[in-house]
Amino acid sequence: MISFENVNKYYGDFHVLKDINLTIQTGEVVVIIGPSGSGKSTLLRCINKLETITDGTLMINDIKLNDKKTDINKVRRNIGMVFQHFNLYPHKTVLENITLAPINVLGVSKEEAKKTAEYYLDKVGIPDKASSYPSQLSGGQQQRVAIARGLAMKPEIMLFDEPTSALDPEMVGEVLDVMKALAKEGMTMVVVTHEMGFAKEVGDRIVFIDQGKILEEATPAEFFAEPKEERAKVFLSRILNH
Amino acid sequence: MLILIKLSEVETELNFSILVDYFDMYWDGFKATLMISFIALIASFFIGAVIAVMRITPIAPLRWFGTAYVEFFRNIPLLVIAFFFYFGTDALGLRLNGFTAGTIALSIYTSAFIGEAIRSGILAVPKGQTEAARSSGLTYIQTMRMIILPQAIKIVIPPIGNQFINLVKNSSILALIAGAELMYQADLISSKTYVVFDVYIFAAVFYLIITIPLSIGVGQLEKRLASSN
Repeated sequence: MISFENVNKYYGDFHVLKDINLTIQTGEVVVIIGPSGSGKSTLLRCINKLETITDGTLMINDIKLNDKKTDINKVRRNIGMVFQHFNLYPHKTVLENITLAPINVLGVSKEEAKKTAEYYLDKVGIPDKASSYPSQLSGGQQQRVAIARGLAMKPEIMLFDEPTSALDPEMVGEVLDVMKALAKEGMTMVVVTHEMGFAKEVGDRIVFIDQGKILEEATPAEFFAEPKEERAKVFLSRILNH
Repeated sequence: MLILIKLSEVETELNFSILVDYFDMYWDGFKATLMISFIALIASFFIGAVIAVMRITPIAPLRWFGTAYVEFFRNIPLLVIAFFFYFGTDALGLRLNGFTAGTIALSIYTSAFIGEAIRSGILAVPKGQTEAARSSGLTYIQTMRMIILPQAIKIVIPPIGNQFINLVKNSSILALIAGAELMYQADLISSKTYVVFDVYIFAAVFYLIITIPLSIGVGQLEKRLASSN
């Protein structure tokens, strides 16, 4: 369970996140949408402390993130993250990319890590690419490796930060399919995306954020049929009708 | 024209008997230079890497130390550092011979430059690499060692190669603190034979025997790493 309680974040004078209250239950798929610069990526990145919050309380399960005594590396083991630009390690093979954290963070044996990596590579549909380098893969394949890399840590939570925004249109589908399968298996997912089709189909809940504020929280059915907030209506009409 | 004529005169007059008669001394000097260079090369690389990481760490005191280290050792002459370790430590009751004092001085001096080169390499690695590594639970040090430094060093191989070549040449300073290396031996031969030019020409050839392969090796390494990307 992830819970934000009166969370604020500033960059200097700039108020990025304003009084955020949000609870995400285990197994839930929450899709965060909003215009660019609204703070949605920042909100996501607070969950694994790539960004620190200025005040308020942010809890992951029963651990307070903004507490000096919290060992952030321990919390992060449990939270996988997929980035817009994949961020695979270019000097390591696909297999090494996936096994690096399990071996060095969890202390899993090499053989076991390799087995796990092969299992997840198979799952994301590229079992034959284990010995390739990231630069030899297409964008869609790289992002699927990144998802496999996250999953290999067997995390409870997966974070997705615009995972399809840097992809060629024809590769978006293959990545979304992997994410859909993951959602069906009950993974707790927090997804920042502009893919409204995905949000509608897979999301348990939509969080609409603008200028650092959560303006609306609703089920996809409610939200897409009839957004309550004027800003959300404008946003939807802009991205759906073009 | 004049230079050309002079050069050709020198060539014809080069006294190879010096090389033959004093070959053992040259050879001892050559071995010492090679040894000093080899030790200082490895030491300065590792010290440089540590200093580079210190300079960009979020921990302020370490950062200050790293900055002070670089600014201090980069901005004073190598000879002064060598004198400090040779004569200065003597005053402290620590007797270091010329070889040891010189090798330490050379390592420390070069590490300041290598540290700066590696730091620029670290800064050139995209931020997303650190984010991916840290978000998977790796510590700061693990992230540096496994993800960032290997990529950073690849980027800075050409400037580091230059530093290594400078290091070999700078080792000649050790002649002044009885480092017993190539330049020191050349000085001895020169004072024995009263010949200046030829003696140092042969010394230069011995330096080239180290620096040219080093230069080629760095070039090859650069090519190999570039193609692995």
